[in-house]
Amino acid sequence: MTTTVAAAAKPRLGGVPGYDERSAFLLVAPLAVVLMAVAVFPIVYSFYISLFTIKLTRPGRTPFVGLDNYITVLSDPQFWYAVERTAFFAVLCVSAIAVLALLMALLLNEEFPGRRVLSALLLVPWAIPYVANALMWKWIYDSNYGALNGLLYQLDFINSYMVWLGDSDKTLALIANAFVWKEVPLATILLLVGLKTIPADLHAAAKVDGANAVSRFFHVTLPSLKSSFGLVVVYETMMAIRHFDLFFILTEGGPGDASHVVAWRIYVETFRNLSFGTGAAMAYLLALATLALAYVIIRALARKI
Amino acid sequence: MTTVTSIRALNRRNFLKTAAVGLGAASLASRAGPALAAEPISFATWSAAVDTVKSHLAAFEAKTGIKVAYSNSPWAQYRETMITKFIGKAPIDTLWVSDSWLPEWAEAGWIAPVDQYKSLTDNSDVDQFCIDSMTYKGKQYGNTYYSDYMAFIYNAELLEKAGIKAPPETWAEVAAQAKTIKDKGLAQWPVLFSMAQESWLIEFMTAMVYSNGGRFADDKGNAMMQEPAGGAAPALRWLVDAVQKQQILSPSCVETGELAVLKAFSSGEHAFALTPKYRLRTLNDPAQSKIAGNAKIALMPSGEKGSHATVGWMRFYGMTPRAQADATRAADTVKLMDWFGGKADGEYTFQKMLFRDVGSGFGVKSLFSDPEIRAGYASYGDVDLIGKQQSLARKKDVVTPWFGEWNDVNGTAWQQAIMGKVTVEQALNTSAAKWTELKKQS
Repeated sequence: MTTTVAAAAKPRLGGVPGYDERSAFLLVAPLAVVLMAVAVFPIVYSFYISLFTIKLTRPGRTPFVGLDNYITVLSDPQFWYAVERTAFFAVLCVSAIAVLALLMALLLNEEFPGRRVLSALLLVPWAIPYVANALMWKWIYDSNYGALNGLLYQLDFINSYMVWLGDSDKTLALIANAFVWKEVPLATILLLVGLKTIPADLHAAAKVDGANAVSRFFHVTLPSLKSSFGLVVVYETMMAIRHFDLFFILTEGGPGDASHVVAWRIYVETFRNLSFGTGAAMAYLLALATLALAYVIIRALARKI
Repeated sequence: MTTVTSIRALNRRNFLKTAAVGLGAASLASRAGPALAAEPISFATWSAAVDTVKSHLAAFEAKTGIKVAYSNSPWAQYRETMITKFIGKAPIDTLWVSDSWLPEWAEAGWIAPVDQYKSLTDNSDVDQFCIDSMTYKGKQYGNTYYSDYMAFIYNAELLEKAGIKAPPETWAEVAAQAKTIKDKGLAQWPVLFSMAQESWLIEFMTAMVYSNGGRFADDKGNAMMQEPAGGAAPALRWLVDAVQKQQILSPSCVETGELAVLKAFSSGEHAFALTPKYRLRTLNDPAQSKIAGNAKIALMPSGEKGSHATVGWMRFYGMTPRAQADATRAADTVKLMDWFGGKADGEYTFQKMLFRDVGSGFGVKSLFSDPEIRAGYASYGDVDLIGKQQSLARKKDVVTPWFGEWNDVNGTAWQQAIMGKVTVEQALNTSAAKWTELKKQS
């Protein structure tokens, strides 16, 4: 009997698939087909069209150009300015999110009256859709009738209304602020989960060894949060690099080229200039850069854990 | 048992045969010419005056018996939506077209000339800039939907408080009067312009350029915005000085859209604005504006070497090659275009409906003498001055197949100059270089 069971469980290499394999295949097949249609095919097809000059306003003229679109994009100084701005935006956002989320997670990890209410309130920004969030910040930042100017003026912090999004030196930081406000809750939850998994014994042992709260934070809490931090940093970096909604609604890339990030340039090239070839090439470059960056961050954090 | 099986098999065979015949017949029927002709006329617009359009369509269908399939999509995405539909060969017979897209769509073969349809090209009652705006390479591509122009508006109450007797006639006077108003503490930013990156931006710029005697491009389509004489420099320099030196125009103008200007000017905090002329009605509506009764139109101020010229724009009914491919369909489409863009039952009914409902302008000269229109305008504006300014309107000289792509670069360059990030010359050289590059590629 034992022999029979073992023989049945043994995988058949090169033979006719058995009932179990066929059933498994049939059960997975619909999902595989859907994934092929909605994920794999668009990825492959977008790479394919990035090898052609495809401009919708010139139908019938779509020559194969190989990697020329990639060369064109990479040799355009405006693209590199956009890369700089994207990097600045991502670093600003991820740093702020990491610090604020850590502080919030530490707070919510303590027992105090109203903790549950605060936890629920914290989720509000996360629950607001990106477009609604952007429209809300547009009203807040408006230089003529915005809530920010109104508040600062009433509190006597300013004598006259300030220019916010229209000041190119402030634009990216203000958009980053709106992004951080939306993203901090999720990062807080991820870090809070990490905090909950730290054994209480570690803190108790450190206390016995005479470590004060600051020492315990740097030598117990922070090292234990590395994997959660890794997740937050990778996820938020990818979100920040690819982010588009706030740029579209708050500034439309302006003023001037102050908020021309890579995602914005992809939108303009693809959907305004209707140049699908170069647009796809840019999108591919952004995807590859995001992937490479995520890989580097994960490797770096994995080495330290 | 055998009998049951054979009946089942027979039934299955019969079913399959019937289904195959049915599908084949349906397929053939869908390809047949008469079926195409029997399809309703497909009419696409952006989402404006939807109820007015529907009501006028219902009257058309009742009168002619011609069925119309009406669809609309938001203005902000209209160009991209329609191009995607054209590429996907979606059925469209007639549609609203902006003058800005005419060369692009005509070159791509998405809209067709209408010169062979006499009723559509009877321009005896149409303003010249409207005819120009519907014409590309000598061929006319439609008939008028609505037209308007960029107007110079002032707040009469604020001028009176500042002791200013008459509105400015030149851009130098605008700056001087604004300075007086600012110095008297009546307004922090007396001038209010929209310089945000949106579709209106080119109209604001062109109004400034024309009134300063400049141009973006010459008659052959070569860039001339960068030329010190006859280019766009005086207009852009005025804006830069207004923001950077005289501080009569807020630096936030680069984030202020056309709608925001309307709201802000309605608050009474500003003395001068450029707005589409049809906004005059809202500005003088007590339910929507604090300055109702005090928002007045003046002729566009002139530059040192300029005139009172302004920019006019045109939206028209275009016709697709699909509509023209079938004689019956073409005839029905022309009837529909006439009903909306021309006269319906002997009157410019739809133009008057639009004017009554939303204050829209029109490209029909005789309507300025229409008692109903004159009475409507008189309630919030000087009808003769409105007509005079319209007669000085000119079509945009940047409307080319590469306009859309150049427009983004040009808008960015102007904004950078206004913010003081680049000089006027650098901005206009950037704009001109992009224009020349795109012209070569086209």
